Amino acid sequence: MISPIHILTIGLGGAFALGFVPKKAKDAAAVIMLAAIALMGVLTGSWLIGLINGDSAQQVFTAGFKPPFSINLLMGLNEGALTTAVNFIGLLGGIYLYKYLKEAGNHAIMVFLIFIMGLNVVIMTRDIFNLFVFLEIVSIATAGLVILTETGKAVQAGFKYMLATGVISGVLLIGIIFAYYYSGTLNIDGLTQAHIGALRGGSVALLMIMVSILLELKTFPANGWGLDVYEGANAGIGAMLSAATATGMYYVLYKLLVMAGPEWNYWIALIGAVSFIGSNVLALKQRSAQRLLGYSSIGQIGLLMIILGFKDILGDNTPYVAFGILFSHYFAKAGLFWLAGIVKQSDIANWAVIRKKPYFLFLMGTFIFALIGFPPFPSFFAKWELVMELVNTGNLPWVVAILFGSMMEAVYLFRWFGYAIKGENENIEDFKIEWNKILPVGIVAIALYVTGYFTAQHTEAGAAINWIPLFFVAAIFILDFLPVFVKNTIAIIGMALYFYNIYPDLDNMRLVFEAIFMIGGILTLIAGYAYKGKRTGFYPVALLMYAGLTAIIEAQTTLQFFFGWELMTAGSYFLIIRGKRSMPHGLSYMLFSVGGAYALLIGLGMAFAGQDSLGMEIINTISYLPYWAYGLLIVGFLTKTAALGLHIWLPGAHGEAESDVSPMVSAILLKAGVFGIVLTLIGMGGESNSYPWLPYALGWLGAITAFSGNLMAVFQEDAKRLLAYSSIGQLGYIVLGMAMMTHLGWLGGFSYVVNHFLYKAVLFLTIGAVVLRVKTHNMYEMGGLIKRMPLAFIAVMIGIIALSGVPPLSGFAGKWLFYNAILEKGWYLQGAIMFFSGGIAFMYLWRLIHTVFLGQLKDNHRNVKEISIWFLIPIYLLLAGIMVYSVKPQWVLQPLGDMIAQWFPDGQLTWDGGTAFTKYGHWAGTAVAVTIIVAFLVVLALLLISTRKAHKVKQFDITYSGERPERPETTHVAYNVFEGLYKAMWIATIPLVETWWNKVTDFLHDTADIVRRIYNGNGQTYIIHIVLFIIVTYFVIIGG
Amino acid sequence: MEYITITTGFLIILAGLWAIMTRKNIIRIIIGFSLFDTGIHIVMVSMAYVKGGVAPILDKNELLTDTANKIVDPVPQALVLTAIVIGLGVTALMLAYAMKLHSEKKSLDIESFKDLKW
Repeated sequence: MISPIHILTIGLGGAFALGFVPKKAKDAAAVIMLAAIALMGVLTGSWLIGLINGDSAQQVFTAGFKPPFSINLLMGLNEGALTTAVNFIGLLGGIYLYKYLKEAGNHAIMVFLIFIMGLNVVIMTRDIFNLFVFLEIVSIATAGLVILTETGKAVQAGFKYMLATGVISGVLLIGIIFAYYYSGTLNIDGLTQAHIGALRGGSVALLMIMVSILLELKTFPANGWGLDVYEGANAGIGAMLSAATATGMYYVLYKLLVMAGPEWNYWIALIGAVSFIGSNVLALKQRSAQRLLGYSSIGQIGLLMIILGFKDILGDNTPYVAFGILFSHYFAKAGLFWLAGIVKQSDIANWAVIRKKPYFLFLMGTFIFALIGFPPFPSFFAKWELVMELVNTGNLPWVVAILFGSMMEAVYLFRWFGYAIKGENENIEDFKIEWNKILPVGIVAIALYVTGYFTAQHTEAGAAINWIPLFFVAAIFILDFLPVFVKNTIAIIGMALYFYNIYPDLDNMRLVFEAIFMIGGILTLIAGYAYKGKRTGFYPVALLMYAGLTAIIEAQTTLQFFFGWELMTAGSYFLIIRGKRSMPHGLSYMLFSVGGAYALLIGLGMAFAGQDSLGMEIINTISYLPYWAYGLLIVGFLTKTAALGLHIWLPGAHGEAESDVSPMVSAILLKAGVFGIVLTLIGMGGESNSYPWLPYALGWLGAITAFSGNLMAVFQEDAKRLLAYSSIGQLGYIVLGMAMMTHLGWLGGFSYVVNHFLYKAVLFLTIGAVVLRVKTHNMYEMGGLIKRMPLAFIAVMIGIIALSGVPPLSGFAGKWLFYNAILEKGWYLQGAIMFFSGGIAFMYLWRLIHTVFLGQLKDNHRNVKEISIWFLIPIYLLLAGIMVYSVKPQWVLQPLGDMIAQWFPDGQLTWDGGTAFTKYGHWAGTAVAVTIIVAFLVVLALLLISTRKAHKVKQFDITYSGERPERPETTHVAYNVFEGLYKAMWIATIPLVETWWNKVTDFLHDTADIVRRIYNGNGQTYIIHIVLFIIVTYFVIIGG
Repeated sequence: MEYITITTGFLIILAGLWAIMTRKNIIRIIIGFSLFDTGIHIVMVSMAYVKGGVAPILDKNELLTDTANKIVDPVPQALVLTAIVIGLGVTALMLAYAMKLHSEKKSLDIESFKDLKW
């Protein structure tokens, strides 16, 4: 093996050789530089491979002297991995900057090489003075690159950077000389043995060393100089700073923390937490892409510092967690900086231009999801491990702090991404692609997926993850150039085969949900045939959501469950944001989902506490703060069922989604939350659970949600929003039913689960198809469509009858069970609210028929056709389901009852043929349904006969008495039809919850806007921050 | 007596820092930095001082026994040389920056270079 000292030989030799290259031979110079970096990479890479295969680490002493008279380098596993990483990103960064460095000339090329070499030594060195020297080399190289290649703002930033790093390394130098004075050595291992922190005077020396490394890491808030460079410098240099320099500096902190001793761990974690939360909150107000990335980089380093501070608690897992986060950050941040250099838009709103080249949008999405810690990226597994361990060791406040910071990061990154997906991009000039710039971005994106896959294999639970659905998604993504027809067929066949393969392995409860997800998925996909062209990007994201949904059903471990949960969130986010005007709703959906996921994560962590496996059964036996754990799990799941308070994303998201997406995210996706609640309630112990307050609160929440969802639906003019609010209400019923924790309650709940899936899919599909024809969501702009779309009319008619819960259709089964269950449970007040909201439901359901299909046909709809056959097929299949359920309810309810009996054996329905009995009465489903259907048909026939001779009034047999109304829609009978009701009920329709959330976000944004003004742009102020930081840490850590 | 150099060193460091933080002219700030750096070098050398010690050149026989207590520590002296070289490099680069900044705005007032902020 070649000695690592030859990294210096290659770096310095290469730089020296560059001096002989003629000024005009710029290509030759750049190639020499890349070759030198590649050579260093090969050297460190071969060490890494050797060390992984069990070679022993090597310590190098220069000139045969022992420290402090020689420089000593160590090449161990960590060093091997990190130097290889630095050389790898250095090579990619060199390729990215190829033309740029070439134009700047041989000097810049030389400096870039020295920069990479310096970082290698910073990572390997075991001597603190040598560390100082190479830190200075890196700083000078960075500032040199800036001044050799830039003009304007970047030069200002470069000067501030020089000034700040100059002062910081001065402080470091003082610390080093005092450490030497008190201990007699400069070697890190020697200082560790001497317990430098415990020596008289040594603690101050140590403080100065540690603080200067923290400052070099651009710790909040003494980091204005770093932010300015991130924003001002070329994106390629920013990428190097964020990926390579930060990686090297982080490792320096790791080395020195060993030297500082365990009493420093706490302080590093604390400073890291302040930095993580502080910079992520301040980033909320950022509009400049590169500065935003700078804030995010500093935040990520803060998170890594927290991990380092907990290294004794994480134990052997520390490298796994730290490398997982570090590498995600390293690849993703480099990728995003490079993208910023390609897109060349400073304002994040202008990033909408990126979707003019859709694959770039995919790259950006990859990086952003990797930063937030979504699967399948390494950060997901690392964050999981971190939270599990921290909760397990009772460090809950830290977990909350970490997740709060992550949440803030999600806010601004997804806002940015939202602009990219949905922002206005017509007037923005398209960007150019150069091969040398896109190549590195592509490579790091692929690297993220590959490292993610291998990170998962590293743990037992991760290795058990089923990747087949994800590979299928990837295949569909590659085939995205094919027309809709082909992709739709592949998707349907794939889902059908998958369902066929796994259904025998599922228990009954999981089968109910899996059937809703998969069969429902296939039915809604059939509607996709109605679309023409390619429908770019639709199939990968739809299948991603289904892959997540099936993963939560199949999950054997909590890790698999959470993995699926996050995949589902990602997929549904992309589906939702595809709709018109969906940008804000996509963001709020994502933020509630991320928040909910974090609640789940903590809950699952508490479930893991004191257990030695991650099997799903651990949520049945939570012993660590069980009230909180179950509460958090429920809150997490309620974000997906859109319970009141967590619902504000739903109306917009469902209302604005595409016609076949609304049923997917409403009829199907919401059930994932219900599935989670069912699992949690079973885990709590079913009937005999010892947490009475949780179901009780949940019951009230369900009842109030049902009431307010329905009430809000009444006042909608937009048909799809009406259905969306209606979903909130319906899910309220389900939650109330489950919360009763009795056999009948659950039977009612499950009956609603199946029913809501059937009729909400019918209604959303039909209304969606109508919207596709008439090009408006507003009901008052429709009317009389019964004549043009009779089949759609019949579907809506049956759908609303089923939804309203009147006999003869299936909805009645749910209602009847509910009232029985409520009486049995004695929740009369909640029952009264339910009853009242059922009445309200009629008021909005009626409008779907009255306003949309009855009345006069609008002039511009005179020639619309019946809704597409591809919508009619799934709609009528679903209607057939409703009919079967209505006429033979025992076919559905008996198996459901048997299933529920395993948790709630008491109070079952007793069946006598088709008649069900409870202690309050009985109900013969078939007889009731048949009787009413026959009666209906008889009355219909009578009416048809008796009105045969009635005179038909043509549409224009009316006059306006010469008046021309200014807002014509106000003359429509259906416009604002519940004005009177509104006058009575307005107080209940004030969007208090929305106002509350707005206040919260405004507060955070205002705080960020005020606090970030400490970065006033003056280099001197930044020095004052640095000095204050040193003074404050001195008083806090050493004590005053 | 041996405290004079170290005290002077720290006073120069503080003077340098004070200049960096309060002077508005970039050249003065750079001079401040130079002072700051020089102060550190003085502190470094003074740390190596051994009372009554001589230069670490073993030219007399009497120095060969109990050497460590008779000579001043050579390591900080070696270090300070490196530090001086680096300090020179940094100062030179700062001056190059000053030139470039001046050529862009015709000003050396640090207040006029606040285009990047918040």
